[in-house]
Amino acid sequence: MAKTLTKDQVNISELLDRPWITIVWDDPVNLMSYVTHVFIKLFGFSKERAHELMMQVHNEGRAVVSTGTREEMERDVQRLHEHGLWATLQRDDKI
Amino acid sequence: MSSFEKVGDGFSLDLTLDEANILINLVEQLLELLGEGDFFHHYDSSDPLAQLLAMPSEIVTPDDPVLLRLLPNAYADPEAASDFRRYTEPQLRGSKQKNLRLVREELTILVDENHGGIIEELNADVWLKALNDLRIALSVRLEIDETSFDKFEMLPDEDPQKPVYAVYFWLGWLQENLLGLLL
Repeated sequence: MAKTLTKDQVNISELLDRPWITIVWDDPVNLMSYVTHVFIKLFGFSKERAHELMMQVHNEGRAVVSTGTREEMERDVQRLHEHGLWATLQRDDKI
Repeated sequence: MSSFEKVGDGFSLDLTLDEANILINLVEQLLELLGEGDFFHHYDSSDPLAQLLAMPSEIVTPDDPVLLRLLPNAYADPEAASDFRRYTEPQLRGSKQKNLRLVREELTILVDENHGGIIEELNADVWLKALNDLRIALSVRLEIDETSFDKFEMLPDEDPQKPVYAVYFWLGWLQENLLGLLL
């Protein structure tokens, strides 16, 4: 017998709201070690993961550092700006 | 040459008087650019009551390229960027001013007493962010790109830009030095 979800469990608008992404862009000023440090501090990444993302920013010009609701991404962008990184948020256009 | 040192759980910075003067000069210029008045504030800029009156009635995208880099657009779409800025820019500006004010206070002791010396038990996080904002500000004025270090090395000593580049790269060295102790 199939179960139906209750109204609370199906939140279409939330599903449509997701996902938003935070992008960090390359710039010629921020030190590689500083960007790695900020990624570890703000997102709790391992040293290896933070280094990998930093290299992606450096080599590809940008990297997605977080995914979530619009509000969450706005908070992440604000925290990145407080640290002087160049970040923007947008809807993930892959979906 | 000045450097940060790890002392127990904290950090210290040994500066010559010249270095302290250069730093405080830049910090004060950036505070001014960020709209900090030339007076002592008895309130904290993150205080909600302060924002009630001190917040400008209209917050627009900055014309100055340094301010635009320090307080960047969060969205590519101009309308979304402008909406977001209206609600968040005072806090972003305030957090940058707060870092710079703390660094200024620590430098003031050396500068007012007219000697170099050691700043003890400094807040590494605050210093990293303040040094980074100073570098960003200078980089916009100097139009720094990937080739700038080579350009700097080839500039003749009498070029008026040479000392400014030197300060920019020195700040990078200082920041790297502190990061090396943290990572």
